Amino acid sequence: MNFPFGKAALLLLQIAIVTGGIHLYTSLDRQSERPDLVMAIFAPNHEEAYREVLGEFEKKHGVKVQLQLVSAKALQSRLQSSLLTGAEVPDLVELMAGSLGYFARGPLEDVGFVDLTERLHQEKLYSKMVESRYSLWSSRNRIFALPHDVHPVALCYRRDLIQDLKIDVNALKTWAEFEKMGRNITTDLDGDGNPDRYALDMPLSSNWAINLLLLQQDQQLFNEEGKVVFDTETTAKTIAWYVQQTQGKNRIAYEAGWGQGLAKAMNDGLVLFYFCPDWRSKQFEMDMPNLDGKLGLIPLPAWKLGDRRTSTWGGTGLAITKACKKQDLAWELAKFLYLNDEDLGKRFRATNIIPPVKSSWNTPAIKEERRFYGGQSVGQIYSDLAKETPPQYVSPYTNLAGTKITEVYLDAVDYFQESGPQGLEASILSNLKEKADYVRTVLGRNVFLVKSEAKP
Amino acid sequence: MTSVSKKAWVPWAFLTPYLVLTAIFFVYPFLNSIWLAFHQTNGPKSSIYVGLSNFDFVLQDPLFYTSVKNTTIYAVVSVLFQLPLSLGLAMLLNSGKSRIRNVFRLILFSPHLVGQIFVGILFAVIFTPRYGLFNIGLQELIGWGLEERWLANPNLVMPALIIVSMWLYVGFNMIYFLAALQNVDEGLMDAAKVDGANRFQTFWNVTLPQIKPVAIFVVVMSTIGSYQLFELPYALLGGAGPNNSGLTIVGYLYSTAFESGDLGTGAAIGWLLALIIFVISTLQIKIAKVE
Repeated sequence: MNFPFGKAALLLLQIAIVTGGIHLYTSLDRQSERPDLVMAIFAPNHEEAYREVLGEFEKKHGVKVQLQLVSAKALQSRLQSSLLTGAEVPDLVELMAGSLGYFARGPLEDVGFVDLTERLHQEKLYSKMVESRYSLWSSRNRIFALPHDVHPVALCYRRDLIQDLKIDVNALKTWAEFEKMGRNITTDLDGDGNPDRYALDMPLSSNWAINLLLLQQDQQLFNEEGKVVFDTETTAKTIAWYVQQTQGKNRIAYEAGWGQGLAKAMNDGLVLFYFCPDWRSKQFEMDMPNLDGKLGLIPLPAWKLGDRRTSTWGGTGLAITKACKKQDLAWELAKFLYLNDEDLGKRFRATNIIPPVKSSWNTPAIKEERRFYGGQSVGQIYSDLAKETPPQYVSPYTNLAGTKITEVYLDAVDYFQESGPQGLEASILSNLKEKADYVRTVLGRNVFLVKSEAKP
Repeated sequence: MTSVSKKAWVPWAFLTPYLVLTAIFFVYPFLNSIWLAFHQTNGPKSSIYVGLSNFDFVLQDPLFYTSVKNTTIYAVVSVLFQLPLSLGLAMLLNSGKSRIRNVFRLILFSPHLVGQIFVGILFAVIFTPRYGLFNIGLQELIGWGLEERWLANPNLVMPALIIVSMWLYVGFNMIYFLAALQNVDEGLMDAAKVDGANRFQTFWNVTLPQIKPVAIFVVVMSTIGSYQLFELPYALLGGAGPNNSGLTIVGYLYSTAFESGDLGTGAAIGWLLALIIFVISTLQIKIAKVE
């Protein structure tokens, strides 16, 4: 064949026709197989659990549901981009704690998720769940996702080593008592100048532990209306206490980190106590099988005797996107996955995650004793704590406020190293006010949020 | 040539796919970023003209200056330490046997093949206090460093970033220098030797002037690359690092635009970054030409 523009152009044309044809065929094929609902999730253990029961839902409703597992960061960024540009989004999506803030940074009517508030009240589901958990999924008193979990926090400890040290963990009722015990056991065992045993795992450059200690005292970064509220004496006192546990020769804490470092620290007995929300107790079981029977769980020490002995760390919520064409069906699926006591019990066995549905706490699966934790009933411990889990309000600027808390902590470390504890709290408070004002300035620049707040 | 190919529309027809793609992925985003820099947006439906407010905020934001300071330190140290090392390695390899040269060239270049994200994850393990290879190595060699928190101590974050980037880029820049050294005129080298020049004089007066165009290219490209640093600190520190000690300009842009959702301010930061790179590159080229 004599193509007028030469062989190269002919080859390019042929490639274009063939690839175009394949693309057309596959997209038509995909459209004909399009399921009734597409649900995107980021946790592999959720996928396993949902796949087990989805068949029943599909049979009951005569529909097809597609489950898509996407890594957490990719899911968040793709969802952000798709909602911003109006591109295709899943019908249901599991969101990570804190992420709602980003999606609710404009007027409520612009939030890309269905407002579930009326449905929850009309169907009398609101009070079935731990009510404080709605805070993570709410903006301006409207609820945009169904909470998947409670994530109460306990302390996990090396039972065998603590027994050897003759420490009564039940006597550790307040942080002051814990601190005293910590000072006694934090020691340099081999005389090289570096302690080889610490009481508590506390991060030195991120804010998750400070945050959960603040939440334990009901100290939020933002209040229910989205206003900045972290520049308080409670925050200053907590950070000052945190600095003194992590710095100086009297420190009791070490940053064990994550992954291999954490496993090594736990196995070596370098650190004896760890902040442990329900999900982390499963991670310990899976990552450190050699510690079988050597770990134990106790509630967090309280700040004052009789005060709250837990906090919260993390969370997942299920949202229905406004683009979903079958919102009622999606709502049925959400209830099917999140509210069935028996399934939630089974799922607890696989994840150790306490569901927010209070009635599910009585299922046998949640009451079971676990050999890994020395015969303790992990479910019983966490469900008892779940009742007093504090709310956690979110804002589009939660991450920013979190980094400001870390900055205040690091500045306080510098102050403590130079001047000691004298005037530490006052210096932290003044720094907190400065950082809070910065967050207020950034928040004040969001014309959409400011405008929607101004509405009656 | 056939009469068909002489038609005026033919070249345009062949260029059309390129032009369409360029218009979609370069011209449109370029123009849109100018528009964005003067607006606040919340999705495609909502946008408000805010004039110079985005630029005004960025120029008053202490975080912007922290990011500029961090990026500049990184860029300066990269150029001052990395490039002499790259040149030194290239000269060593240039003087060796060709078979050994190829093996070492591959070994030194290979870190660049794995990419910044992988390297970030790898070094996060290497820098682990007490258990990390780097910390244990330092302790064994100089009796210090076992407990040091390279990624958690604000004073050590930048040195850690520089160490990792040297591991990544020294071999990469070495390839440019090696190519330039292989093109140095042997006749001139011989003439210098005959005239009694020592090794340093030969390097300074013969080698360096001949590899100057490549050296300018490497300096400019390294500087531009340094000012665009993002993935490495992001993977290594999981963000800006303690007290923003690893916050770069692009990191600041990312956090503003995609974590806080303020695309307008993000676009303004992007334009300020473009301006910074333009000014520095122009200066570097002018200084090099004057010399």
